Amino acid sequence: MSPPHSSMEALAQMERETRWNRGSVPIGLDGTAATPGRWQMAAGRFLLRCESGFGFLYEAGRGITVEWPDGGDPQEEQLWRCGTVHTGIACLNGLVPIHASAVEHDGQVFAFAGPSGAGKSTLVAALGQRGLTLFCDDTLLVHSPGDGPIMALPGHKRLKLLEDAVEMTGAVGEAAVGAGTNKRFAAAAAGASTQPLPLVSLTFLETGPDMRCEPVRGADRFARLADDHYTQAIFEAAQPDRSALFALRAKLAQGIVMTRLVRPINRSRFASSVDAALNHILRFPGRKAA
Amino acid sequence: MSSVLVKNSAAFSETTIDGEVVVMSLDTGTFYSLTGSAAATWALIDGTRDYTALLDDLAAHFKTSPSLIGADTDAFIKSLVEAGLIAGG
Repeated sequence: MSPPHSSMEALAQMERETRWNRGSVPIGLDGTAATPGRWQMAAGRFLLRCESGFGFLYEAGRGITVEWPDGGDPQEEQLWRCGTVHTGIACLNGLVPIHASAVEHDGQVFAFAGPSGAGKSTLVAALGQRGLTLFCDDTLLVHSPGDGPIMALPGHKRLKLLEDAVEMTGAVGEAAVGAGTNKRFAAAAAGASTQPLPLVSLTFLETGPDMRCEPVRGADRFARLADDHYTQAIFEAAQPDRSALFALRAKLAQGIVMTRLVRPINRSRFASSVDAALNHILRFPGRKAA
Repeated sequence: MSSVLVKNSAAFSETTIDGEVVVMSLDTGTFYSLTGSAAATWALIDGTRDYTALLDDLAAHFKTSPSLIGADTDAFIKSLVEAGLIAGG
């Protein structure tokens, strides 16, 4: 499948490629059995087998086949299909995944990255309470072929929050996510974006005793794009050409403003950390002309 | 080290971000961040200088004596050769 030329084409391609049906899934690709919990990628195909018995196979142009075990939990199926499998499909279709949640402001995307538990979802939920539109939760997909602009695709996942984050942000909690998690779906208070938009800012959430927001400079900008999240491993498997991979990461490192937001993980300081993120967005230089 | 120092341009990719040079070995995927004198040395390896000429130009750039920077420069050049990023030396 050829990479899409425009971000709108990329969005449409992802919608086509993530259609799914039930069926049988091979035990592995290229004659090698997949280890439960591990994914395989070969020749435009992506396979995931889960310990619970779910199996997922993506084939370019044919979408996803889901092998459903007896008594399989629909919520677990959705988490895998919209998580790891979706990322694999995105990578095979030329998109770059970033482990980040994001909001939209003034037609631009402001993303917040960090490891699991860093507070990405909680922060964007709180920013939603301040009137910013949710762009994505947990995984940000970037479309940036050649010399083209750095565009982000709107998220496909519903916002998920821990119970205490629902309370802390004032979000409206919805159904429990289930599948062994202690999270709850939450409404995006200011709505959710539906169109690709330029990605202009990537803020890394860090923990520290004193709150500060400061720029990320130099090679650190590059290194932070190659973190150890599973999405990067999938991306590198889909992009075996190291030279092309380097060029793409260099383009992102040079084209996106990167910042560190260091703040204490402390309920009493939470509002201040949301203020700091909001100030970063509202004072962002070079806002798009109306 | 008397031969002209030449970068193995097929062996790496590089970019410059905020004045820092980022080099990645295409063979191993290892990243190198070059700043200050390392970045200056890397820039002087342009296929026109042998080690002695490079050391002279580097010393002139930093307004110092070649003898004061020789050991560090020698070690850096050797590390670049070992990483397969340059030939010569």
